[in-house]
Amino acid sequence: MFEATARDHRNQRVQTSIRLGFLSMTLLLAAPVLIVLGALVYKGMPIISLDFLLGDPTHGMTQGGIFPALVGTVCIVVVALIASVPAGVAAAVYLSEYAPENWLTRAINLGILNLAGVPSIVHALFGVGAFVLFFGFGTSILAASLTLAVMTLPVVIVATKESLQAVPMAFREACWNMGATRWQTIRTVVLPNAVSGILTGVILEVSRTAGETAPIMFTGAAFFLPFLPQSVYDQTMAMSLHLFVISTQVPDVPEALPYGVALVLIGIVLVMNSISIAFRIWLRNRKKW
Amino acid sequence: MTPRTFALVALTLAACSRPDPNADGPTTTASGRTVIQNKGSDTLVNVAQAWAESYAEVEPNVAIAVTGGGSGTGISSMINGTVDIANASRKMKDKEIASAKDNGIDPVEHIVGHDALAIFLHPDNPMTEISISQLAAVYGEGGEIETWSQLGVTVPGCDSDEVIRVSRQNNSGTYAYFKKAVLGKTVEYKLGSRDMHGSKDVVDLVAHTPCAIGYSGLAYANDHVATPCVKATDDGACVAPEVATASDGTYPIARPLLMYTAGEPQGAVKTYMDWIQSDTGQCIILDKGYAPVRNVTCG
Repeated sequence: MFEATARDHRNQRVQTSIRLGFLSMTLLLAAPVLIVLGALVYKGMPIISLDFLLGDPTHGMTQGGIFPALVGTVCIVVVALIASVPAGVAAAVYLSEYAPENWLTRAINLGILNLAGVPSIVHALFGVGAFVLFFGFGTSILAASLTLAVMTLPVVIVATKESLQAVPMAFREACWNMGATRWQTIRTVVLPNAVSGILTGVILEVSRTAGETAPIMFTGAAFFLPFLPQSVYDQTMAMSLHLFVISTQVPDVPEALPYGVALVLIGIVLVMNSISIAFRIWLRNRKKW
Repeated sequence: MTPRTFALVALTLAACSRPDPNADGPTTTASGRTVIQNKGSDTLVNVAQAWAESYAEVEPNVAIAVTGGGSGTGISSMINGTVDIANASRKMKDKEIASAKDNGIDPVEHIVGHDALAIFLHPDNPMTEISISQLAAVYGEGGEIETWSQLGVTVPGCDSDEVIRVSRQNNSGTYAYFKKAVLGKTVEYKLGSRDMHGSKDVVDLVAHTPCAIGYSGLAYANDHVATPCVKATDDGACVAPEVATASDGTYPIARPLLMYTAGEPQGAVKTYMDWIQSDTGQCIILDKGYAPVRNVTCG
């Protein structure tokens, strides 16, 4: 009665082939990541040393280290996070917890989606006009970071909004029933439960901020400036622009150098991300549901 | 959001108080270091970088922030008053000077070197002069010259008679300038040239290849290659590639490399501009493959 029929066998075969099909698609996606990382490690690793990380570029940037660019990138990312995370989280809290469903909210949501779709070179020109010239920050870390902050705001807002909406409505209702105000509920129940999602947004933002070249090229990054920035009004070198420059504009660069710079750039992003990943894991372990 | 986060936002906003824009000259940082903003031409950017790198040893308290982006980028930053020195491989247009003056800036031009391209031939090649139109027919798309006999010479050691074209990779400033000055803006290079990654490689290859012709910065000429004189028109005078002919503008494939300052240079900018004109500064531009403003002897 339960003996497998020809039809069952065929179904089984279709099942298997579809599963294999999807598996191969997944592997195809993983392949570029592995190939890129493999090539970077293979070609860039030999050049990486403490002197490379902590030295100034020399000999027309074909030798020496990348320390000024390393520090510059970290500064730009940190200032951009300080500027965009509070604003982005606040906007997401408003949109998710307070905003009534009306034309204004819909317009704001549409605006955020459009902001996410604006090409980075357009943000760069906006940054020059707004921060460098209008606000008079000059080409500086501040101008570059604010440009990047504007560019990455949608990432933070969308990630935060989604994680806020993932907090069950029952939590809020329970809190309100205890007599808590909206803000008390958000502060003590909603935000603590959404923090790991917000951190996901921050991780995505760090990666984008550290890697963008166009927005900082006009607003704050220098081709060559072997000094560490003293304040946010200083110009600085940055890893992404440095990589662009030594790959396209500086003659006679040894082959390993661009790979080494790219590897370190990925390394910084991983280190900065692992801080927030560790924090997220710690929070997740404290979560009581 | 915690009160601490609010404090951070408030701090960030407070920090955004309008600083003094540096239109009045180089800024001085908290640690007392003077920063000179230097931006512009991609042709000059590597020279500017080399100057900045060496100057850091001469004057450790002055930082030169070098940025590329092209002559246009440098000139518009000069007009906006966001740079102290703008690098350009072309002269500022009258319109650009007028808009700078509208902003209260009077750009002053300084010639810091010359970009002069020499034509390189194998030392056995009997050719002593070549015209721009011949070069265009050799290198340009649709050009008819493929053999040395078409140029009227027989090259010893070059049995195939074929002209082997040595060129540069397409992101090099030399490649772009040769295209503009010899082929004309709209004409592309003929396919099938040997594209070298560096001026020195061009000269080395030509020195070992009897059939070859190449072009590169005049400073790369050495005893192993011949450098024919170049005629601007077919019946014009033939001008030898030399620092002197590049400087006085008679050599046809040369352009001045310029730096613009806002007004006559003062203080730290003046010291830097003077250092660029010194033997040390001029030897650096020579080392980067460009012609200095005058003859200098370098170690």
